Formats: sequence, C-alpha cells, structure tokens
Amino acid sequence: MDRRDFIKRAGLTAAGTLVAPYVLPSGRLFARSGARLADHVVFVLFAGGIRNQESVKQQYLVGQGMGTTGNIMPNMLTGNQPSNNLLYTQWAPTLTNSLASQGTLFKEMRYTQGPTGHYNGHTVAMTGNYTETGLNLNINPKFPTVFEYYRKHNSPSQTASKAWWLSEGLGPYPSLNYSRHSSYGAIYGANYLAPQTVFGNLGVQYFADAAAFQPDDVTRLDNVKSFLDANFDLEASDLPGIINTRSDKEEIKDFITGILNGSDPVDWPLPAGEPLSSLSGDLINIAAAWKTLDRFKPELTVINTFNLDICHSNFTGYVDFLHKADYGVGWLWDKIQSDPVLGNNTIMICMPEHGRNLSPNSLVDQNGLLAFDHTSDNNSREVFALIAGPTGVVNQGLEVGTAQNPVGESIDIVPTIAHILGFHDDIPPSLLPGRILTEAFV
Amino acid sequence: MQVSKRSILLLVLVGGMLASCRKTVEEQVIYHNVIYEVDNVILYQNAADKTRQKTSTQYISILYADLFNTSISNGELTDIAELTLGIGDKTMANELIIDHYLNDPQVVMPSDATMRTDIPAFVEATYVKFYQRLPTEYERHYLEEMIADDTQMTVSNIYVAFMLANEYYFY
Repeated sequence: MDRRDFIKRAGLTAAGTLVAPYVLPSGRLFARSGARLADHVVFVLFAGGIRNQESVKQQYLVGQGMGTTGNIMPNMLTGNQPSNNLLYTQWAPTLTNSLASQGTLFKEMRYTQGPTGHYNGHTVAMTGNYTETGLNLNINPKFPTVFEYYRKHNSPSQTASKAWWLSEGLGPYPSLNYSRHSSYGAIYGANYLAPQTVFGNLGVQYFADAAAFQPDDVTRLDNVKSFLDANFDLEASDLPGIINTRSDKEEIKDFITGILNGSDPVDWPLPAGEPLSSLSGDLINIAAAWKTLDRFKPELTVINTFNLDICHSNFTGYVDFLHKADYGVGWLWDKIQSDPVLGNNTIMICMPEHGRNLSPNSLVDQNGLLAFDHTSDNNSREVFALIAGPTGVVNQGLEVGTAQNPVGESIDIVPTIAHILGFHDDIPPSLLPGRILTEAFV
Repeated sequence: MQVSKRSILLLVLVGGMLASCRKTVEEQVIYHNVIYEVDNVILYQNAADKTRQKTSTQYISILYADLFNTSISNGELTDIAELTLGIGDKTMANELIIDHYLNDPQVVMPSDATMRTDIPAFVEATYVKFYQRLPTEYERHYLEEMIADDTQMTVSNIYVAFMLANEYYFY
C-alpha cells in the first residue's frame, strides 16, 4: 500500500466511523443537535481595516476631496467600477454575478466596544466577544473561538482536519486557533497555517525534502514510541498547539510537502496573463485556502486578508490591495462552486475586522492622497458583512441596514456560523452575547 | 571508556557548583563512545530525574546538537522558530524538521548495518545520545529484541521515535 492509499484509507475509516450513524437514507447529512443550512462555512475576515466609504458605500475618492465614485470591489459588490482617476489596474471580475447578488449584504454593521485594533478585531470576529485586550497579544484569547465551539458541539464530532485557520501573516494571529478557556482549549482547536511562511522560502528550505512517514514506518515508529512512552511517567502535554490524529498528521504533512516540492501544483488567483509578481500576500493566502478546501473539504475555514493595512501610509496601495483582495474572494467562490463536494453546499461570510477613521492622518502618498488610521472613532466602528450561499438557503440580493438604522454587530458572526452548521443551541448561552443574523436566511 | 583527566576535573568542578545551589539530579557517570560519536556526557541516574519540559527552542537546539554533534546557529534557530509558529500542530512541525535533518548528509547517524552488527551497543548509545541515561535492563532487552525481530527496522525509525517520545521533551 503506498502512502497516499494509506492516508486515504485511514481517513475514510475514521470518517466512516464518525459519520455513518448520521447519514440518512436520503444521503444528506444532518447534525444531531440541529438542522444545518449548509455543510461548509468559509469565513473571510476581509481584514486590515476597511472603511465603508471605499467598500460598500462605493465612494472611491470622495474621502480625498474628489468627486470620483465607483465600486472597486466588483466581485463582492454590485455596482459600476470607477471610470476615471484610476489608481489601480482594473481586473475584470471573475464572477458574472456579484456575491452580493448571491447573498445578503449587511451594509451597516457595528463594532461597538473595545479598541479598533487588528488583533482585537480578529478576536472579536472569531470569539463572538468584545475584548479590551491591548497588551500581551501573543496569547490565546479568553473566550472560546468558533473552531472550539464547532469541534466540541458539532455532532458528529470532527477532527481538526475539518477546521482551519489560515492567516496572511504571523504576529499574534497564530494564537487564534484556540482559546485558553478552561472548558475548551487546544483539544478543540483548528489547524493553523501561515501560508506565506510555510510555503515561502523557509518552508522550501526546511520542509521541501521532508515527507510524510511511510505506512510501514508509522507502525514501527508508533510501536517504539509507545514503548518509550510507557517507560516515562510524564506527558509532553504542555506543548503549545493542537495535536492532530496520526492519519490527519500524515495527510497534512503530505499536503505541505506536496506543495513545496511541486508535486501538487498551486492555482493562483490571477487574471489570465497576469504575472506572478502581481500576487499580494492576501492572494497567496487565498490560494492556500483553496488548496486546503480542495484537499480536506473542511466544514469550517477562516481566512484573512491583511495587506490593506497599508492605508496607514499609502491610500493608493490600499485601493490596489482592496481591488485584488476582492478578486481573490471572487476567485475562491468560483473554485468552491466548481467543487463537487463544496459547490452549492457552502456559505461564505465576509466581514472586515474593523473600519478606519473618518479623518485622515498627516501622511500623503505618491499620488498626494491622504492616509487613514484606525483609532476607535465612530467611523472605524462601521463595518459590513456579506453572507452568500445557495438559493433557497440564503436570501439572494438582499440589503439590510442603513447608516441611520445599523443592523448587526461584529460579535454576531460566531453565532451565525454556529447556526449554519447546526450546533448553536448546544453552546452555553452565557458565552455568546451576539445574535444569529437571521435576516440572511430563507 | 576513554576520558581525559581534564574532562573529569571540569565535570567535578561543574558538578560541585551545581550541587551547591540546587538539588543534584545527575549521576556522576561519564559516558563516551567512539563508534556512535557520543561525547563525554553526564548521565541521569534514571528517567524520573527529568521533571521539566523543554521549551520549543530548547527542543530544537538539543535535537540539532544530538543529530549533528554541533550547536545550531542562531539564524537557523530563528528560522525554525518562525516556521514552527506558522503551523498549528507543533508536533507535526517537529516531525517535518526531524525528517529534513535526517535527510541531511551531515547528520551523525550510524548505518543500519552498523546497528545490526552490535544491537546492544546501538541501544545503549541511543539511550545515552537522546536521553542521557543508560537503559534499564528491561528497556535494553525489549528494544534489542524489537530491532532484532524486525529486519526492516532502521536507525532512522529508532531515532525518530526517540525524538518524538515524551522523555525527549523533558530534562
């Protein structure tokens, strides 16, 4: 038996053991705790700090004192692109119909409490609880993450290969795959991957020649290790991080090394003819997200973008990255819909972690355009959310909320994901102050 | 055992200094093995003396030293720390790093033929190399038999298992 067969069979055996009791004669899978709206959720933290002005309000250069308006996110939003004063190379949309037309757009949501910092915003979005944390960022969050709720309460329970967190950069973000909550923690955490690091130069240098263990070697290793462990009283239980099952571990190692040694080619989210030099870190992360979705068919995937934070000093770069990230999200949706397992069975949620200030700072970029920080003013608390999914499950083309009547908060995404995957009612209510964004669903 | 007088003097001095400020957990046994390139080391009396878990940096540093008989550079240690940070399952990251190092032609590892020429010597040297202690009679017997019974068992298999087992995470 070769390695891939071994991994596949081991995985299928495990999956069969877990899943078989819940497959109905219809062939559809239902969670015991509640009906699902879809079997897969992809949450795109469209992060880096995005103003509603340049996104859902489609005001393009209005914030710079110019009259040019237009939609620079044509894959996610419906509206005409700017036709003059172009700061970026316009890429033709990869989607025929925008994601907004395939789902519900919460145009005015709010991030109501706590500092509008990146780590805070990520933590709020992934735990469903506001946080005041400003120091000591490199620790796991206080409240459980959406991954832990999923892995603890979803029925049947799934291994970590079905829950993934892919971040564009490192910093404190590796800490967000599980919390330090005493009732949850690493045992219910998600697999974490920083694609730019793991699939970048360091990965090539240290991992490209590594390999998953051969099937026979796994047995030998386990036998010897079991013997050694039996003769030592302590367990290395304090290791930071999650620990995959042996079969998952071998499959993930095979996945990583396959990409690094070129045996598993990567599709890039670029328009035809566009050179690889046009890739941004966000697009690399999105490409890795697709590889992960394609290989593991996770039920819960969270990815982020982050390049847009260049807006602290360079508004032109911000617009360019925003346009590219939008393309990447459209490309990912297209890939998902073309997959026999994920297509028409996935709900995608996009939300910035927070906005940016109404007033610019003092920095000016190469085009004389003003930059924007995010220092917790009211404008930086304005965000949007887009929930796209199958017809008959997600309301199509619906817009909810106005500036005068905002609907939804950042803390609502976690309960909404739990609702989609059918385990919301199993979560202790005291842990989630937010609500399900029911407006999005049929 | 081949031990220089200078080494003994140094070890006695260091041992004395350690004993004066904390509980001594090492036994003053000096091990040296030319074939397996094990340098002079102070051995633990038994596995129970190891109570503290290594940090991830200590783990990689010691692993590197055990495989290459030299210290890892700060640059490489920083690289690996960053790479490991980029993966959620640290044990899996360690497995990939170990596999990478075992593919390195500079790794100090006996051949499978050498192992099979004298299995008892290999087992003893492996315990000393990775765990800084001698195997118990039970461990010695069991592992020797395991290797002898499985002709496909490689040095690499044994080394990986030793480096991934719980004891290797403690000192």
